[in-house]
Amino acid sequence: MEAMSGLFTGFGVILTPENLLLCLAGSFVGTMIGVLPGIGPLAALALLLPITFSLPPIAGVVMLAAIFYGAMYGGSTTSILLNLPGEAASVVTCRDGYQMAKQGRAGAALGIAAIGSFIAGTLSVVALTFFAPILGEWAIRFGPPENVALMLLGLVCTLYMITGSALKGLVMIALGVLLAMVGTDVVTGNERFTFGSIDLSGGLDLLAIVIGLFGISEILLNVETISKSTLLADKIRGLFPTREDWKASLAPMLRGSGLGFLLGLVPGGGPITASFISYAVEQRVAKDPSRFGKGAIEGVAGPEAANNAAVGGSMIPVLSLGIPGTPVTALLLGALVIQGIQPGPLFMQQRPDLFWGIVASMYVGNVFLLILNLPLVGLWVQLLRVPYRVLFPIVLMLSVVGTYSANKNLFDLWVMLAFGVSGYVLRKLQYDLAPFLIAFVLAPLLEQSLRQTLVMSPDGIMIMTQRPIAAVLIAISFVLVALMIRRGLTTRKTGGIPHEAHV
Amino acid sequence: MKLMCKRLAAAAGLGLALISGAACAQGAKAALAKVKPADFPTQPIEMTVVYPAGGGADLTARLLAKTMEDITGNRILVNNRTGGAGMVGHAWLATQAPADGYAIGMLVNLVWGDSMLRAQGRWTHTDLEPVGYLNSDPMMWFVTNDGPFKGKTLKDIVQAAKDKPGTIRVATVPGSMWDYSIEQVEKQNDARFLRVPFQSGGAGVVGLIGNNVDVALGFYAEAKPHMEAGKIRGVGVASPERLSHAKDMPTLNEQLGGKDYLWTLLRFVVVPKKTPADRKAYIGAMVKAAMQQKSLRDEYAKLGVYFDPALENAANITEALNAEAERERAFYVKTGRLKP
Repeated sequence: MEAMSGLFTGFGVILTPENLLLCLAGSFVGTMIGVLPGIGPLAALALLLPITFSLPPIAGVVMLAAIFYGAMYGGSTTSILLNLPGEAASVVTCRDGYQMAKQGRAGAALGIAAIGSFIAGTLSVVALTFFAPILGEWAIRFGPPENVALMLLGLVCTLYMITGSALKGLVMIALGVLLAMVGTDVVTGNERFTFGSIDLSGGLDLLAIVIGLFGISEILLNVETISKSTLLADKIRGLFPTREDWKASLAPMLRGSGLGFLLGLVPGGGPITASFISYAVEQRVAKDPSRFGKGAIEGVAGPEAANNAAVGGSMIPVLSLGIPGTPVTALLLGALVIQGIQPGPLFMQQRPDLFWGIVASMYVGNVFLLILNLPLVGLWVQLLRVPYRVLFPIVLMLSVVGTYSANKNLFDLWVMLAFGVSGYVLRKLQYDLAPFLIAFVLAPLLEQSLRQTLVMSPDGIMIMTQRPIAAVLIAISFVLVALMIRRGLTTRKTGGIPHEAHV
Repeated sequence: MKLMCKRLAAAAGLGLALISGAACAQGAKAALAKVKPADFPTQPIEMTVVYPAGGGADLTARLLAKTMEDITGNRILVNNRTGGAGMVGHAWLATQAPADGYAIGMLVNLVWGDSMLRAQGRWTHTDLEPVGYLNSDPMMWFVTNDGPFKGKTLKDIVQAAKDKPGTIRVATVPGSMWDYSIEQVEKQNDARFLRVPFQSGGAGVVGLIGNNVDVALGFYAEAKPHMEAGKIRGVGVASPERLSHAKDMPTLNEQLGGKDYLWTLLRFVVVPKKTPADRKAYIGAMVKAAMQQKSLRDEYAKLGVYFDPALENAANITEALNAEAERERAFYVKTGRLKP
């Protein structure tokens, strides 16, 4: 009941023309930066931060938060249409979203992505409304051992995503882990694998890799078949999801929402991990897993819901404890600090107007985003009619600008280019790139948490079995690996996993 | 892209329209006019920050840039050149930034450690000249209110690390001020902590609240809300005197009976050394004028920093800050990190 009255307070704060307008502006900007490859929410928030200095605290944060969750809506668009992820959290959407677009079902994929984002966004705000204080306390118990277990689980889930040759998939995971080791050693502070280069001292930039590996290589692949003048293979079949699409998507959306929310809560989680794990789960529970990678709508609905729900989840540690788990939430916190407001454990009691105002604005923002995005589906689909020779130079330019703008470091462009060419070669050789990426994202956290765990534990690795959350997560990982091995053994008897190219 | 620019511009316009009325200090403006070179600036000045947007350094720079813009009317753009925990931006400023006054940097004194220990001769902090001091943020030691050091002083904690060496878990950030402060306390008191590495001071404080470590080192702003909520408590501050906004917290010096337990983040503005003297002077004057604005000082105070009078009133800020750098070099030499 306290939550309900709080929420009323919140809506009272937020329902002014000025605040609504800023929420709408933030939603729109967020959608746009989500669509544009490279330019992420972090860069946009940093650019707009000075504007909030002169706004009332609530107005500024409402706008910045709207950009954050708005970006998760937009991120799927280019993934589906161009096989080019707008955000790292939308990489996995490429797999089935792009296949759907090729089959003329781009509209259905975009529609499901928008609606899934809305459902997940709203559900996660509902959870935020009622459980923020309890979940905040839970999130903070996530220490190094729990993070180790979570990262391991993430890597195990990646095993399920491998399409085609299992060996090639494992090679990609290993490569991802290996390249993630470049940079500064988290424990000693020494540089490793940097060959004396200042540019490598901070490691390889995730964004440059995503754009290179997925974006640039996609352009290279398409240039080969330039004889076709547009992307669209078939006719566009309907702009909106059909009844069957709905039926197939609802459960994945709900699962994705729950999963994304929980993963968003904890420091090692976040939208990227959430979308990957959701995909693996959907593939696991599907009656016919072989449809995945060939345009299964569940493969769009689940991950897109998960990355949006993760945003709601990640707001909890910030709002209820003042502890940011991601760079973007750190920036939101910064925007409040600059206004002289330091959210902490007492934030909810001291500034109920702000706390509930932000929560209420997230309900409003998600509605705005749905209204903004559904009509846009028709517009975006027309993009598929633009000829290659016009579209790809533009996409290439956006990729370059986006990559450079993140760190203002020319070296990142070389990284992007190198990974673009490597990605092209690897895809020609039928290597799956998604396991590489998730391994690259998880490995640094896994390493750091593992080494922290071993330093702080008196009984070495056995600490993992003494902490309940860690123990449960580890147990799930073991079960998943056992199931995987069993499946591998049975299929070998019947002639092996079908050797299928995945692009 | 174009669409996005338009949107950003529209949002910016919206923001500006909502400003109730920007105050502009006339007095500081007059003083500035005296040292203003005739041909400078004719284009926007780029202020480089080597850490990501949203952090303490970034907020400090953006507030400064905004105040300097208000006073002078010059456009000042904050640019985050990140990577390698600051290494990339530091190297860019020292070796590639144009020395024409249009490239300035808002740095934190961590640049000295980068230069002395990690630059490997590729660049040095002496390629950059400090022209203005902003503020200081001393390192603090924290414990939880319900953990093993409930009601204990820093002296008790150090004693515990002496009696049971290697058992008290303390959060550190390897190869930086956190490590040095712990090492200094260990060396001079014959104690040994169990150092658990974290990526940042903030992450260490979170580790403390989650009871994954027993002691954490950090800064006032990131710990304040948790202190107010009664979760954690500061047991020592590595500054020469107690801070006015945290009077109850003793200094490390008074607790441990020393005089060199001093670890402070200093924030200041630099220009490439070869920048023309008149432009250097003008940039220095701009920073000084900005720092005389009550509004900016209030904003900084909200971030939990203090203003070191010795550096604020220094006749020559370049020399004063270079002297601080030399003090740090002496520590590296003494601890064997650097050859004399």
